[in-house]
Amino acid sequence: MGVNPLDIIREYLPFLASGTLFTIGFSLGGIIFGTILGLFICFGKRIRNKLLRAPFVCYITFFRGTPLYVQILIIHFGLVPLIFHQSNGILAGVIALSLNEAAYIAEVFRAGIQSIDEGQTEAARSLGMDRFQAMRYVILPQAVRRVLPPMGNEFISLIKDSSLIAAIAAPELTYWAQAMGAQYAIVWTPYLTISFIYLILTLTMSYLVNRLERRMATK
Amino acid sequence: MMIKVEKLKKTFGENEVLKDINLDVEKQEVVVVIGPSGSGKSTLLRCINQLETITSGHVFIEGTDISDKNANINKIREDVGMVFQQFNLFPHMTVLDNIMLAPTKVKKVNKDKAKMKAMDLLGKVGLAEKADAYPDSLSGGQKQRIAIARALAMEPKMMLFDEPTSALDPEMVGEVLDVMKQLAEDGMTMVVVTHEMGFAREVGDRVVFMDGGYIVEENEPKKLFEQPQEERTKAFLSKVL
Repeated sequence: MGVNPLDIIREYLPFLASGTLFTIGFSLGGIIFGTILGLFICFGKRIRNKLLRAPFVCYITFFRGTPLYVQILIIHFGLVPLIFHQSNGILAGVIALSLNEAAYIAEVFRAGIQSIDEGQTEAARSLGMDRFQAMRYVILPQAVRRVLPPMGNEFISLIKDSSLIAAIAAPELTYWAQAMGAQYAIVWTPYLTISFIYLILTLTMSYLVNRLERRMATK
Repeated sequence: MMIKVEKLKKTFGENEVLKDINLDVEKQEVVVVIGPSGSGKSTLLRCINQLETITSGHVFIEGTDISDKNANINKIREDVGMVFQQFNLFPHMTVLDNIMLAPTKVKKVNKDKAKMKAMDLLGKVGLAEKADAYPDSLSGGQKQRIAIARALAMEPKMMLFDEPTSALDPEMVGEVLDVMKQLAEDGMTMVVVTHEMGFAREVGDRVVFMDGGYIVEENEPKKLFEQPQEERTKAFLSKVL
């Protein structure tokens, strides 16, 4: 090949930069909406009434039991056009990542809440707190601390999984790497370049989670 | 009448833990419940503030039937303090925050007032210097004294103690019993499940002996310990005294 890889990277730099921002955006969107929705689903799954609980159980079963890639295709080609009458890769990407992440976060939270000793709830209730107050002031603060490491793992997975939405032409990192590879018929340069960028993103995430863990542990 | 237990039954699946319990506790009375493990003592205590739902029968707190579906159990529990064998302090909060949490969140007492009250209680249990410590840094005896202060911060009308010294090293039992004794002298209505026969004899107004889900015998401490009427009471006392 006559073309210098550095020249190609330089040419694609603006696209790689915007692709990185999109990847970060998709990941943050998935993390924020996924966590909020995940907490909601976690409480839904804790409802004692089987009938009321069923939708939440189904939700988790579906999103954990089917491939994210298939979910992305369903949402992009099915759900989004159905609601908005046209497809939109960015919107479909954020929705798919959030919905998928929520199922995993819900399970992480459930495990965290269950790991807190029953005596904590009993002590809170014996002091006159209602269910909600006991959860809000006593159980959740302890559970959040305990689920930080597994949450960090989920967030890192999410960053990597966001590469799948290249399949629906959302302009994130992997999408631009594919474009780069196709234009110059090369493999190593684009994919090693984005691998490096993904590594920086995931390492940053694990650094942030670690710091948060340490800060909460000293309290 | 502070507490009235009427024909109380409690089953866990097939297992009938409380079979037919009738018990009255008067204002300012200290009732000590003793008996072999598995006799239902703790379950009885936990039924009195509805930590266990009652299978049948009634529990009245100051005349209110708490097994009634319309009873506001959260409101009633504000008047019924409870101290647990395992302390159950909130590990993510300082001692002071442990004590202030329920008054500020449940009773909406303002922070300054709640803090003054908390410091006052910490002084009473001899742990004022631990206000900013976290529970993990405390000994078992200190934890239990904090737990008592935390319950008292809600200004309950009666206190339930569920084997408060059973998880403690022997040298720490005394400091917790001293706090409880002081509380009894101050006129608190108390129901105490314990294996400390010395405490039962000295502080109790009445001792209740339970076995196999029944109250077998109850009497003044002196009479129950010195002239037990029932064979099962005699057998139990001969083992523990």
